[in-house]
Amino acid sequence: MALTQPLSLSRAAVEALSERLSEPRWMREFRLRALETAEALPMPTTSNEEWRRTDLSGLDLSALRPDPEVVSGPAAAPALPQGVIFTSLPAAMRDHPDLVREYFMRPCVRPDESKFRALHGAFWTGGTFLYVPEGVEVAVPLGSSAWIQSAGVALFPHTLIVAEPGSRVTLLDDFGSMAGPWNAFVDAVVELIVKDGATVRYMSRQDWLAAVTEVGIVRGRIGRDAALHTLIVAFGGQVVKRNVESLLEGPGGSSEMLGLVFGHNGQHFDVHTLQEHRAPHTFSDLLYKNAVKDHARSVFSGMIRVHPGAQKTNAFQANRNLILSGGAKADSIPNLEIMANDLRCTHGSATSRLNEEHLFYLMSRGLRRVDAVRMVVEGFFAEVLDRVPLPDVRTALQQDVDRKMVQ
Amino acid sequence: MATTNQLGIDVEKYKYGFFEPENYVFKARKGLSAEVVKEISHMKGEPDWMRAFRLHAYEQFLKKPMPTWGADLSTINFDDIYYYIKPTEKMAESWEDLPDEIRRTYDRLGIPEAERKFLAGVGAQYESEVVYHSLKDEWEKLGVIFLDTDSALREHEDLVREYFGTVIPPEDNKFASLNSAVWSGGSFVYVPAGVKVDIPLQAYFRINAKNVGQFERTLIICEPGSYVHYVEGCTAPVYTTDSLHSAVVEIIVKEGARCRYTTIQNWSTNVYNLVTKRAVAYRDATMEWIDGNLGSKITMKYPSVYLLEPGAKGEILSVAFAGKGQHQDPGGKVVHAAPNTQSVIVSKSISKDGGRAGYRGLVKIYPGATGSRSAVRCDALILDDQSRSDTYPTMEIDEQDVSITHEATVSKVSDEQLFYLMSRGVKEDEAMNMIVRGFVEPIVKELPLEYAVELNRLIALEMEGSVG
Repeated sequence: MALTQPLSLSRAAVEALSERLSEPRWMREFRLRALETAEALPMPTTSNEEWRRTDLSGLDLSALRPDPEVVSGPAAAPALPQGVIFTSLPAAMRDHPDLVREYFMRPCVRPDESKFRALHGAFWTGGTFLYVPEGVEVAVPLGSSAWIQSAGVALFPHTLIVAEPGSRVTLLDDFGSMAGPWNAFVDAVVELIVKDGATVRYMSRQDWLAAVTEVGIVRGRIGRDAALHTLIVAFGGQVVKRNVESLLEGPGGSSEMLGLVFGHNGQHFDVHTLQEHRAPHTFSDLLYKNAVKDHARSVFSGMIRVHPGAQKTNAFQANRNLILSGGAKADSIPNLEIMANDLRCTHGSATSRLNEEHLFYLMSRGLRRVDAVRMVVEGFFAEVLDRVPLPDVRTALQQDVDRKMVQ
Repeated sequence: MATTNQLGIDVEKYKYGFFEPENYVFKARKGLSAEVVKEISHMKGEPDWMRAFRLHAYEQFLKKPMPTWGADLSTINFDDIYYYIKPTEKMAESWEDLPDEIRRTYDRLGIPEAERKFLAGVGAQYESEVVYHSLKDEWEKLGVIFLDTDSALREHEDLVREYFGTVIPPEDNKFASLNSAVWSGGSFVYVPAGVKVDIPLQAYFRINAKNVGQFERTLIICEPGSYVHYVEGCTAPVYTTDSLHSAVVEIIVKEGARCRYTTIQNWSTNVYNLVTKRAVAYRDATMEWIDGNLGSKITMKYPSVYLLEPGAKGEILSVAFAGKGQHQDPGGKVVHAAPNTQSVIVSKSISKDGGRAGYRGLVKIYPGATGSRSAVRCDALILDDQSRSDTYPTMEIDEQDVSITHEATVSKVSDEQLFYLMSRGVKEDEAMNMIVRGFVEPIVKELPLEYAVELNRLIALEMEGSVG
């Protein structure tokens, strides 16, 4: 079967994939164009500033294959308001071709941005499409997921949300895998199009229990008076390199960006964030918290960029790192590029270890050390979790953190 | 009413923008080759090891790539620069022995007066060689050496050979290679164990010929328990073609010693100022860099402190002011390579009239540097909507038992502050001036008095016409 062949960067592989999914011609051509771009672009190396701290030279794409068994797409949803489309991306391509053609990897994330975006454009499978018409509010949080259950696969999940003016919606994206010592590769793209006056809350929780190498991007385009709230959580994988970007394009737009990373053993997390203010009166507030233990390493590289004319901007960026073991590392690179003057812009970064005084206090109250440490770590993440308005999600993430403590 | 000269330069505004006719003993060819490097070494009558060092550095210079980050350096033409000019035949013994035109230049900078009042010694660099030196007898008795580096190489060859190029090897970066190949002048300071030099040592630097590269080389050695404060001030006349200033400053601060290095840099706005400054600090030693950057077209300068033994401390205070057409890319770097080391970096940048100022830095904590603490604070003030501020801090932390913080703010001069001051009868431009002065105050107060006065005056000059 064509799909179990190695993921060679060949025209034949792309055509076989497109054929199997019975895609329209425009998508096949889109994939082939993306493939050409991928072939033309070199693999990023550590001499590239963006990839300086993440070395993918050991990644052998030709040893990987797309997995037809990968489960990726929307979870069952309750009855939704009239006009809301919540379906798998392949189904949307069949049933709503105009919408997909207009928004898929065109106005937001594009294949020609980088090698991995181009590969995604050529080989994407599955994924979720969520469309909310003008003025419609979806009250219940929706869910979607991707799940890897076999070794040596390459997964290219895609999430696309289009929120028309004045609409409201929440999506929880869950990525996970079976546990095991095996390798897999994930190249994910999340596109969030938040039009004027709309509000989108997007949460992604990643918990690969296998030795997954992940690259991916979450990018939101935020219109006039629109709001985007993101929470990006990463627990799993071997090497994870992600970009999370909010582009504030209309006056009055706002973006809340929350992040939580907890690494153990030899895990490597490299998260690059961008708060791009292109319009006046925009607001962004970022808080990323990383905890690392054993020999894990985390990198936070954040950028606030305020374009000329984006006056009355408020932009905040905070990164806090907690180092729990002697061999763990945390890098922090909070950058600012400011080309307007009438604004308030701050960033802060702090890295520390467990505070022995806090531990001592807790232990003097009769707690065992291990419980005291757990409480301190919970407290560390609480600042992020307290800002999540969904109690179930908060509880689940707290349990994840507890599990990571003993992993 | 501003007066302009034939170049269209506002003479009133650029007070230090005067220049004297050229009158040189020797002038090397433009451009760089192994021959030019040998010629420089020959002219100076240097020992063989230094010539070999220069030639090795020249090879490294050819191999090293230009930096691809930071400011745009693509307009530097290495073939269009004089690499060595010797202004007078020999060192002047006293102020009166200096040629008239050089004395006039310095008179306008107020050096002799400053010397009478405060200075222990003056190493005054006019063109590529230090032409005037004086060191008060008392320091000589204590064994303090304060010479230009060329003389030090002749008179204290063993000392120079032991330390030269050990902190910043010629392989370090392209501009350090270039300096190592063609260096000339700069200061050599040696402070014996336990000696505290309580009056700052000062050197004024000038660039005064078209396309003259200034490649001065400074080496400071603080033996255990000693203290010295070295002050480097740079003001350069205005010229129409681009100049390159690429210095190397190496500092060794041994056990329990303390060194403070202060720079007020006011190159004319066509100078590329690409400087490598690094200090190593041993057990319980303290290194302090105070760095003010006002002039130049492009400044890329990241004073560094390597904290090599327990208890070492590093402090970097940096002020940058970028006006029209200027790109100030200063910063700092601290490497914590031993337990219980501490560092503080404070950066204040101001941008105006389309200028671009900022901070680029690194704090690196190596494994085993337990109990290390570092605090970085960067503040930026943007005075109009044409200007730009960048902050690029990097923190690499490989050790758990540490405390690292970084904070930055970017803001404009608030209308409330202006309104308050004006309601007290202060005129708008004065109010603006006061706010900017208050912004840089934490760093200015660390400067010696005459430099604090000069920096405030320079900022006031830069601020002229910023209201209305």
